[in-house]
Amino acid sequence: MHNAMTRTARSRLLLVTAGLATSALALAGCAGGSGDDAAESGETTTIRFLYATGDETWNAVVDKVVAAFNEQSDTTEVKLDPLPAGSDYATALKTVDATGNWPAVVDMRDTLTYVNAGKLAPVPDEVTALLEPDAFAPAEDGNVYTVPYSALNGELGMNIVYNKTYFEEHDLEVPETYDDFIDLLDEIKANGDVPLATAAAEVWPSDQLWKPLAAPTFAEFSDEGGFWNAAAAGEASVADLKAPLEELKNIMDNYVLEGWQSTADAQTTTLLVNEQAVMATSSAGLGRLMDINKVDPDFDAGLFIIPDEDGKLNVLKNSVIGDTAGGLAISSQAAENEDEYASAVEFLTYFYSVDAANLMEESGWISPNILQGDEVTRNDTIPGASDFFALLENPNLVWYENAPTLSTFSSVNTFFRQSRIEMQDGQTSIDETIAKVQAELDAQVAAAG
Amino acid sequence: MSAHTEVRVRPRFGRGRLAMLGFVVPALVIYLLMVIVPSLQTLQLSLTDWDGISDGYDYVGIRNYEDIVASGRFWNAVRNTLILGLGSAVVINVISLAVALMLDRLNHAQGFFRTAVYLPALVSAFIMATIWKYLLNYNFGSVNTVLRDMGLPEWARDWLGDSSIVIWVILFITCFTLGGNTTLIYLANLQSVPQELLEAARIDGASGVKVFWNVTWPMIAGAVTVNMTLAMIAGWVIFDQVLVLTSGGPGFVSETMAFFIYKVGFGEYRAGFGSAAAVVLFLVVIVSTVAANAYMRKREIQA
Repeated sequence: MHNAMTRTARSRLLLVTAGLATSALALAGCAGGSGDDAAESGETTTIRFLYATGDETWNAVVDKVVAAFNEQSDTTEVKLDPLPAGSDYATALKTVDATGNWPAVVDMRDTLTYVNAGKLAPVPDEVTALLEPDAFAPAEDGNVYTVPYSALNGELGMNIVYNKTYFEEHDLEVPETYDDFIDLLDEIKANGDVPLATAAAEVWPSDQLWKPLAAPTFAEFSDEGGFWNAAAAGEASVADLKAPLEELKNIMDNYVLEGWQSTADAQTTTLLVNEQAVMATSSAGLGRLMDINKVDPDFDAGLFIIPDEDGKLNVLKNSVIGDTAGGLAISSQAAENEDEYASAVEFLTYFYSVDAANLMEESGWISPNILQGDEVTRNDTIPGASDFFALLENPNLVWYENAPTLSTFSSVNTFFRQSRIEMQDGQTSIDETIAKVQAELDAQVAAAG
Repeated sequence: MSAHTEVRVRPRFGRGRLAMLGFVVPALVIYLLMVIVPSLQTLQLSLTDWDGISDGYDYVGIRNYEDIVASGRFWNAVRNTLILGLGSAVVINVISLAVALMLDRLNHAQGFFRTAVYLPALVSAFIMATIWKYLLNYNFGSVNTVLRDMGLPEWARDWLGDSSIVIWVILFITCFTLGGNTTLIYLANLQSVPQELLEAARIDGASGVKVFWNVTWPMIAGAVTVNMTLAMIAGWVIFDQVLVLTSGGPGFVSETMAFFIYKVGFGEYRAGFGSAAAVVLFLVVIVSTVAANAYMRKREIQA
């Protein structure tokens, strides 16, 4: 009897232990993964590089630079972790955060939000020492969290790309004022052609037409800390944007190729090359010219920026730190592992070398402002590239700042983009859009405290 | 004797139960940790202003729920969810039942046609939606190209960008994807309807339609309940198709509740608000499914 009871107790203990062990194993299986690669590869540490696809030129740059880095490194292997085109990268980045599985090197968006949440690790001096001093800046705590992935030309790449051959055949010229731009649209329309292709399927490309139109208004607040900071402080309001919203609505209703609501950003290149539209919006600058050249090497493309009424080219060039500043960052999660952090630093050190810069330039990318910039071979062979570089020398170019400090600005920005598309599509009026965006801004200001 | 039996049976029963418990525990622990605990945590988070990233948050009472009720965007998402949930349930069940009736009457190659009907269900909703996105592209898609080539350019539409039709296009694509399982359940039930009942009705002079309404339809009432419930639940939580096809646009017009939760929770850094919306979605799913189920069960009993 005693033996039987002992056996029963032992059996129970065994069963419970087996159950718990199985659970633990299963849970361990769920949680595993982050350190497996490093362990398997012996001395080589494998890290991941998360970036947004969608821009063909940037994809080519990442492929080339990472392949070259892996070839020359004995200690680190960088694996690409591309987030697919078509998705909202900022949203996808948040999803990555939710999984708790951060890559070591990340192409950042909404940077300030993640810095405040402690998700990013400081970029060490050995990396920033390779860059020109004005190419990076410390956050409030004195640490540098992002370093640039391209030259600091602000939103100079937010252009209208156009068919130069068509312009020559019809004796058209690049507009020097906003009225010239509208006249240009009218002339193309009078020829029976569609003046402009634009895209809004992914939400963010809707900025490509909106921002140049809103730039004169934004520029007025540049010295006061930017429009959005003034609006958050009650010194400006969304109603101040009524005039550019009206201009946007006018252009959308009268000059834009049908189907823009479901057109993806990359498709506007095809629409331009197929001559379905004479011009197209872009935010990739030189990269878009490169894409066009790949699709049709004979296509003669040029680009310009929509000027304001006085002929000024207002271009956003924010501080290199702030919520709107993109750039490459090292995740805090990677920094917890000494090897991963060292590998991330090694990769960034290579990223800012002359070799990497030359690879970027070959791909049609304007490389970041490195101290050894004089040794980089610039690529001026892309058709239309001279138009882009001429913008930098244009006497009418005016840089302005509009870097919001509101911690919840990302919410406002996403909401504003969608509300604008709703208005462009005719679902709501301009006044309704202004009212709902103002309400959202007020709510987010209150939420930010 | 009876006392003896009791003494000998009890330990065996206890050991068996423990053994069963031992096998259940791993899955139960995982289920609790992965589903139940996070679900309960959603309730807690719905009362906070958590951004989904930061370590800390503040409790804001029922403010998130008040904001949801006052949000036109949310009610638009509710409307879309109802259209997709109820619409897909009705359309899928009607089409699936019709297809199952045809398959049931097939004398040759039934296996081939059954496989053909089920094939679309094997493709993931994400992949299917991506294919449809290419087909329906306004400028390059095959659908508009065919219409234009057929001399019907005025029929070409921006299927995924026209706010007046986009939710109906998503409904069509959803129905196309989800019909396979429903058809098979109907077919299995149709094949279990006793032949003698059908023959008796026919001998009594009942027409085909009368046989269906008075014999077949009552006999498959249970399958209708199951299929309608499953289709409605699938419709309430539609997400993949919306994400791929329209991202909720143009603007907010094609957002569903599931997409709305994802968008505000992940895209707009309002995890507290998104959690509150998830709680509301849960209530909508529970209330509507239980109500519909109760109605259909009642119909089953009457049948």
